Amino acid sequence: MLALHGTGVGAGIAIGKARIISKPGENIARYEIESSEIATEINRLKTSVQQAVSSLISSGEKIDGDIPEEVAALLETHAMILQDPMLLEETTKIIRQKKINAEYALSLYGKRMQKVFDEIPDPYLSSKSADIAQVIQRVQGALIESDESPEQSLSNQPDGAFDGEIIIANDLTPADTIALKKHRISGFLTNLGGPTSHTAILARSMQIPAIVGLHGALNLLRTGDLLIVDGKRGVIMAGPDERSLDAYQRRREKINRRSQALETLREAEAISLDGQRIGLFSNVELPEEVAFSARQNAEGVGLYRTEFLFMNRDELPDEEEQFAVYSEVLKSSDKPVTIRTLDLGADKQVDGGRVSEGQGTNPALGLRAIRLCLHDVGLFKPHLRAIFRASVFGKTRLMVPMLSNVEELDQLFILIEEVKQELREQGCAFDDTIPVGGMIEVPAAAVTADIFAHKLDFLSIGTNDLIQYTLAIDRIDDEVNYLYDPLHPSILRLVKMVIDAGRHANIPVSMCGEMAGNPEFTRVLLALGLREFSMDPASLLEVKQRIRMSDVALLEAVLPEIMNEMEPAKLRQKVSEMNQ
Amino acid sequence: MIERDIEVINKLGLHARAASKLVKLTAGFESTIKLIGRGQEVDAKSIMGILMLAAAQGTMLSLKVEGADEELATSAVEEMFADCFGEGE
Repeated sequence: MLALHGTGVGAGIAIGKARIISKPGENIARYEIESSEIATEINRLKTSVQQAVSSLISSGEKIDGDIPEEVAALLETHAMILQDPMLLEETTKIIRQKKINAEYALSLYGKRMQKVFDEIPDPYLSSKSADIAQVIQRVQGALIESDESPEQSLSNQPDGAFDGEIIIANDLTPADTIALKKHRISGFLTNLGGPTSHTAILARSMQIPAIVGLHGALNLLRTGDLLIVDGKRGVIMAGPDERSLDAYQRRREKINRRSQALETLREAEAISLDGQRIGLFSNVELPEEVAFSARQNAEGVGLYRTEFLFMNRDELPDEEEQFAVYSEVLKSSDKPVTIRTLDLGADKQVDGGRVSEGQGTNPALGLRAIRLCLHDVGLFKPHLRAIFRASVFGKTRLMVPMLSNVEELDQLFILIEEVKQELREQGCAFDDTIPVGGMIEVPAAAVTADIFAHKLDFLSIGTNDLIQYTLAIDRIDDEVNYLYDPLHPSILRLVKMVIDAGRHANIPVSMCGEMAGNPEFTRVLLALGLREFSMDPASLLEVKQRIRMSDVALLEAVLPEIMNEMEPAKLRQKVSEMNQ
Repeated sequence: MIERDIEVINKLGLHARAASKLVKLTAGFESTIKLIGRGQEVDAKSIMGILMLAAAQGTMLSLKVEGADEELATSAVEEMFADCFGEGE
């Protein structure tokens, strides 16, 4: 049995035969370095080994009790090989002696070890060279900012040719992903990609397990190998033993039973026991996801993230490209679509370099989202024009992220008027009645939500940033993320303030942060008065189920107890009692 | 410096799991710990090194320990070999 690990992006378990549709690149570039560059090169190696170690350890932490012991032991062996002083020492020696780049030095070291292990008569120990090869490829993966050649097309395969199989590719292009829909594949694995890549989004929308960011690990798999893919933990087992296979088959059945139970709710209304109608909307990133949102019976798109079109590329998309994409999104939905204007900056940098220059030490508090857009009108205006021009294709709503003071709104309205005027003069059609809403995610805006509510047509609470800013913690920082607490009294109070402000101004308030899609928080949010939820469409049925089992009037009656609770532990206890 | 002969008595030999147990043990000592077998000397704190020894049941190895805690380290390593790496056979 061989265990591989990457980033799990689609939950669930797949068991099936491997199908390699593109061979991962084996061509590690070799280049000479100057004597003066040796130290830098060795540092690169050390950093990458460190990166590989920490990513492996974090995947190890996700392994809990129900993972077969064998798998845990294999992952532990990999971590040990990575931390083995020999790996660093020998590779460093090669870099010094041959004056070559770290990636290639690792390849040479790998070949040397392969030779040593090939000579071992014991077949079990001899096979351990595969573990070393995998670890080396993981470090190489961390060294290389991968730019591999495009792979062959999938589209010339007959429909259903890959049914039940687990697709393995270096990366999946959008064209591949469309072609993949002709096959009922049970999972896929890619060398490239991270949790927010197109591949990851596709996996979530197809509701199948997938693991991305496997780097070179896929070189070790062959078409026809029996694989277990654990999408939640990012672990793949090739040629599993009977015990692991058995354990995973049982887990897969359990998951399937649960999702079948949820399936029956697809057509059901999101209505509480006491007859409250709740609006359920979806968050989407890609035009392809709109169809999934419709399949889940969402009432529309509550958050369409435009920034993904701007990421992972060198040239910014021009107005025409944006217009084409937004049009496609609006055409594929017969329900309202809330388009959020660019939320770039902070953790979402544009690769073109335009945004990253002058980046402060604390990008989350820096020039991002609406601030960036108002600062760079040359970026913002074509964006607004594209949205307004596309609005003729469907019910459009415009939403502005990261508002912190109303002057930003005043500037925005001036720009919108300018754009409309230009479009009229140019004879371009657009919807003149587009509602304009704002995201409330900065505490300053939450506290003054009543002021914003007067100027806007709707509000949407972005809990991810609201929590981060209110509690002054960086979620990405491992050392403080334990403080990330959606049930902190400050958050509950702020959310309530925003909902109440919307109610007084008679405008809708929705929530589009992760909190909205977590069924554990559904009831407390209903109690706070939230009536519109927007979430990853994959969570929709679960939240609907929770709503259909809730009595809103009853929840509202117990809210004061929660709001007046002084002890955090008791507060959490009360929320969890509410969920029973 | 302490030198000892040490026999691999467990059924599976110095396979990956035993090697990783040994590395976890040796990493805790300050002394340099070497194992010699199949004509090569390897670092007993290196999992790849130990695997390269390909020591099956019945293999004789030499153990060389040098450092401040060499006595403690030697007896701990000997004990682990004698205990079959906790595998019970």
